[in-house]
Amino acid sequence: MARRGSWAIPGPGPRAALPLVLLLLVGFAAPLLAILDYSFMPPRTFSLTGEPTLENYVTIFQSTSYLSFLWSLALATVTVAVLALTCYPISYGLVRVFGRWATVLTLLFTIPLFVSENVRLYGWVLFFIKNGVLLGALKTYLGIEFDSWLFTSSATVFGMIYVYLPFMLFPMTLGIAMVPNETRDAAFDLGASRWQVFREVELPLSMPGIVIGFLLTFVLAVGAIAEAKVLGGQAIIPVTHDIEIAFTYAQNWPLGAALSVLLMLVVGALVLLVLRRFDLDTILGRR
Amino acid sequence: MLKQKITRRNFMEQSTAMAAAFAAGTAGLTSLAGRAHAAREKELNILCWEGYNSAQVLDPFRSSQAAEVKAESLTNDPTMINRLRAGETSVWDLINVNNAWARKEMWPEKLIQPLDRARFEPYFEKMMPAFKPPYKWATSDDGAELLGMCQRFGPYSFVVNTDKVSRATAEDQGWDLWNDPANDGKYGILESDDWNVFVLCCIAGFDPFKVHSDDEVVKFTETAKRVFKGAKLVGDPATMNQALVSGEIDFHLTGGTYSASPARADGNANIRGITPKKGPMAGGKGGISWIEVTSLVNNPQLSPLATEFLAYVQDPTVAHVVAFAEGTFNPVAQMANPDCFKLFTKDELDSIQWDSLEEEMAASIEYDIVPDYAKLLDIMTAAKREA
Repeated sequence: MARRGSWAIPGPGPRAALPLVLLLLVGFAAPLLAILDYSFMPPRTFSLTGEPTLENYVTIFQSTSYLSFLWSLALATVTVAVLALTCYPISYGLVRVFGRWATVLTLLFTIPLFVSENVRLYGWVLFFIKNGVLLGALKTYLGIEFDSWLFTSSATVFGMIYVYLPFMLFPMTLGIAMVPNETRDAAFDLGASRWQVFREVELPLSMPGIVIGFLLTFVLAVGAIAEAKVLGGQAIIPVTHDIEIAFTYAQNWPLGAALSVLLMLVVGALVLLVLRRFDLDTILGRR
Repeated sequence: MLKQKITRRNFMEQSTAMAAAFAAGTAGLTSLAGRAHAAREKELNILCWEGYNSAQVLDPFRSSQAAEVKAESLTNDPTMINRLRAGETSVWDLINVNNAWARKEMWPEKLIQPLDRARFEPYFEKMMPAFKPPYKWATSDDGAELLGMCQRFGPYSFVVNTDKVSRATAEDQGWDLWNDPANDGKYGILESDDWNVFVLCCIAGFDPFKVHSDDEVVKFTETAKRVFKGAKLVGDPATMNQALVSGEIDFHLTGGTYSASPARADGNANIRGITPKKGPMAGGKGGISWIEVTSLVNNPQLSPLATEFLAYVQDPTVAHVVAFAEGTFNPVAQMANPDCFKLFTKDELDSIQWDSLEEEMAASIEYDIVPDYAKLLDIMTAAKREA
């Protein structure tokens, strides 16, 4: 038997995986490491090899950046909560009620995804703006004049709910579709009420889809920027906007990197907390 | 799975093997990149403000040179310059930014390289009188080098809906429009943070383009908080124009021909860039103007097409296309040439406020670097966040 030398050629598996490993190293790990490195570089420098410092983190903790973090987290939380309440009935309908119309409705929810988010948001601006589609029509046909609600924090929330709806709806729909009809029928046969079937059978069994919808929507929403800019008129500055300003107008990449690292840590910690409470493996039934 | 299981003992060996494979791959890529650089006669990469990246401008050049021309458009100078600072000098051939950057930042930092004076200076002779060579913003501090070519320019202070605030009132009242509490909720702020630093200084009553005293910084802080708190919205030029036309706002800062021209070209002659008649800058001037300078990037493998493109856009026909390329519409220095000027229709001249251009430029200070910009921008960003 040939001795396994210390320089043995890796097997076909590792060899086949090598391109993917390289791609992940270069395309995924390297940028994150660069961001981490930049966050410890002196402010307003452009080199990755400067004298490491904690100055950027000190600046953030001494500033009012916490307001931006709080806004981002609050907006994402409200978005997830509203979407959870609105999407569950729609998802339930798509799986159990609408029958052949479910496909048409799914298409209607999917089609907007083919149009750029910014274009859709500007469409809403034209719809809601003073003398625009809605207020202009009310004024012309009914003689009623309202102030527009654009450029407010509620307009930002509306935009986020609109943009992230499919990311909650489809995992939820999948979760509800995973509940076998036989289980519901058995519960009814055993005398469970409609409420008991929902609470003790349907909700727990559809939990994988719901949790994935929550996580996906929250992570995307916490990184949102366009809604606050276009519909919100920057009435709110989310942390992503602070990061953008640091990387552009402020020419302060290390500060932007430090804000990014903190955002990743905050979101990562929250996601881990949720995953500790709802273990994905368990709810997906793997153990 | 690895044929040889990774253990604590052989971890370093396996890691070394992976690193060697990675290095070999990287070396291969580098060598490919080297070959690509060597063959740059038919490719050109341009980093610019919108307009130079439009098909109307680029397509004729592409076909005449049989070249692959890529242009990326950004809407602020610092971002473009950061791209070069971060090592993209090996990517781009031309950079198109506002006047002060070439002379004061990019040239001292060796991010750009000089042009052949003998070939390019004669073009300045055909431009408007203000650009007569040696033109300050196109030359190095010592006057020895030609650092770029000029084309688009314009006054850039604020914009009003003249149905709500007349041109005369706006010009007379100037920056005090933002010092009147009665105007809270009636104005927007263009998302143009570097320019907003300038105009907040003007509203606070001092020259932006100097080092500021502690008292002035305090005044700037107070002004930034107040102005952002009173704003109805902050947004891009399209949103500002939409808000002006719909009646959401009556005026906005920062703005001028560049931002108002698309609305004017669309038939809204009541949307007008305003240059204040008085202000806190040298000579009592109240307006600020910009002049673009397009420079050769200090690319070790500079495309020979870079200088050809600079010459191409000086052609009267192309200059007119540049003035009215997609996005925003702007005057060009080549309008001094009758062959170029005759291409502009009356509507086009109206949309770029040709009637007042000369007086507005005369009432403006040219875009410059703010020495304590970083500090003021941080204050303004915080004010915006807390508003």
